[in-house]
Amino acid sequence: MSWELHRVVIVGAGMMGRSLATRIAQEGINVYLKEVSTETVQACKLELEQSLDHEIARFGLTTSEKKAILSRISWVTQFDCATDCDLAVEAVQEDFGLKRRTLRELDRRMPAEHPIVINTSTLSITELAAQNTCPERIVGMHFLYPVTTTRVVEVVRGQLTSDEIYEKAIEFARLLGKVPIKVFEMPGFVTTRVVLPLINEAIHVVMEGVADAAEVDLALKLGFDFRSGPLEWADRTGLDRVLNWMQHIYHESGEPRFRPCPLLKRLVRAGLLGAKTGRGFFEYDANRRRTDRLPDDKPGLA
Amino acid sequence: MKILVLNSGSSSVKFQVVETDLERMNAHQDLTLAVGLVEKIGLSDSRLVLEIVDRKPYQDYREILEHRTAIEWVLRILADPEHGILESVEEIGAVGHRMVHGGEEFASSVLIDPEVVQKIEACSVLAPLHNPPNLRGYYAAHAALPEVPHVAVFDTAFHQTMPAHAFLYGIPFQLYRKHHLRKYGFHGTSHRFVAFRGCQILGWEREEKKLITIHLGNGCSLAAIDHGRSIDTSMGFTPLEGLIMGTRSGDMDPAIIPWLMAMEELTLHQVNTMMNKHSGLYGVSGVSSDMRELLEARAAGNARADVAFRMFCYRIKKYLAAYAAAMGGIDAVFFTGGIGENSPDVREAALTGLEFMGIVLHRDRNAGLVGGEGEISTDESGVRAMVVPTNEERTIARDVVRVLNGIMPTFEPPETIT
Repeated sequence: MSWELHRVVIVGAGMMGRSLATRIAQEGINVYLKEVSTETVQACKLELEQSLDHEIARFGLTTSEKKAILSRISWVTQFDCATDCDLAVEAVQEDFGLKRRTLRELDRRMPAEHPIVINTSTLSITELAAQNTCPERIVGMHFLYPVTTTRVVEVVRGQLTSDEIYEKAIEFARLLGKVPIKVFEMPGFVTTRVVLPLINEAIHVVMEGVADAAEVDLALKLGFDFRSGPLEWADRTGLDRVLNWMQHIYHESGEPRFRPCPLLKRLVRAGLLGAKTGRGFFEYDANRRRTDRLPDDKPGLA
Repeated sequence: MKILVLNSGSSSVKFQVVETDLERMNAHQDLTLAVGLVEKIGLSDSRLVLEIVDRKPYQDYREILEHRTAIEWVLRILADPEHGILESVEEIGAVGHRMVHGGEEFASSVLIDPEVVQKIEACSVLAPLHNPPNLRGYYAAHAALPEVPHVAVFDTAFHQTMPAHAFLYGIPFQLYRKHHLRKYGFHGTSHRFVAFRGCQILGWEREEKKLITIHLGNGCSLAAIDHGRSIDTSMGFTPLEGLIMGTRSGDMDPAIIPWLMAMEELTLHQVNTMMNKHSGLYGVSGVSSDMRELLEARAAGNARADVAFRMFCYRIKKYLAAYAAAMGGIDAVFFTGGIGENSPDVREAALTGLEFMGIVLHRDRNAGLVGGEGEISTDESGVRAMVVPTNEERTIARDVVRVLNGIMPTFEPPETIT
């Protein structure tokens, strides 16, 4: 690295924030993880420990590695820690106003040469950056969940992002063992823009009664070697988030191919948001494990 | 001559200063002047520890971001009037570097020049976790001490004498040709030293004997050393093969991997760490990867600790007999490494029942030998069994002397197969 990275602040300890914090801590870098209150800190802390335990049960991590990760993460409820951080990442909800307020808090406290990373898949970096004092140090990085294992990150250049900051973001991506895909700002970038119509079409297939959800997922999983089917992926991401992205891209682009399927809207209105509520296209227990009967996809193992 | 020995890992540098030369080597009078390490390189709380005989260990903390500053720090402390042992760093006559993987390129320790560096870099594909930090240590030491010779000593070199029927795997030959996929073996420096030292104690010529060296530490391996040449060893393409270790599985049916990946939907990373970090004594017992803790649990009646212990010793016994067969006989068995030097229980369980091949353990001698050098077989035993504490750093220092005096042996492969 051509610059020193000792402390990173991540705002928002949701699934994405926790996963990113874990990945950064694994590199021996100290992380401040900011949440809104001591109650949410407690809840997020518990969730993080559970997900690390789950990974230990899957052999991906050892107990001593878990300890090392947790020792590098400090939980905070204030923005003050940002003053001595070398890089900030916002990982709050995909909401323009909330992200803009977060950026303003960080921008006020951090030296101008330190990058502020927006983690978004659909919002405009340029627009979010525009009202800050140093818009050129704001750069987009679209991490995909789970950050610990997904090997790609889209590094997004806004209209005002400086070359220097953009290079730092690329280096940061490489430090985390990710392959950076350089993209210019456009709603959905590459991954979200291409995957959303796929999910939408899968939902249409279910709505039209061509095949049921499990069969649709199975066909795509086995047919194209996906690790999970698009409907389970949507369930795990959260159907409300999927709908939110799709509406946003639809409005921005005006392209009918991004128009959300009515069945998706219906599920979200009914509060069936996927794994986090226990039901979406499929059913899940409190640990987000599928409880509906999975179709047999492993015939012929001898 | 004072030789700095470096073992550079990704976030640590272990070092020793060894005083040795041809005379001292022959008299087994090499002196270890200082032992130390820098750990947590790359972090803000890096630590340096320095131990010098008859002195209180010295410790210091500071922010060390890369190997270069770490090695500068080491040199400064070594020459420090209060804490050090050198008048100045100019007393260091040469530097020996531990290198994990020399591939098929290196069958000997060598003086490092630009061409050698290039070849070591090319071997990094075989040991992506080890060779790059080894090299970073070299670059840093070379920058700090550009005038003195630097010598590379490889873990794999000693085993290059294995014949093709021992080092090839029974998989399509083009994979060997394309990727150099074969058994390399590790701990070569330790096996070599222990074979040498064991024979020295017994007053034997190593070149006349059939030896099995057993290194039992964090990693575990055996070597069959026939007339001074390693003809087989239990670690393979990586240090995962062979014996059951603290957290590594050792030998298993390779078909388990794809089966598990499909059945449990494990990723490559998960299945890899499963075999390397969640298996072995720890994975079977659920108690510990540490033999001492395992033995305590076993003594307290823990059945899984007991079976883990039995598996560990049984695998050693099988390899012992296999290697005796490979050499057509055996003259001595040498135990070394943390477990090999300190666990009479393991040695007893591994050797009991091998009387048919002439190994007769002396129970009291064995039970009484912890952490020292000595014999553990009876006076009547046809095969001598001994404990020989390893000293890899000393071997590295001696190799520096050998290379500089032009007497470094080459562990030539007996054949090349194309």
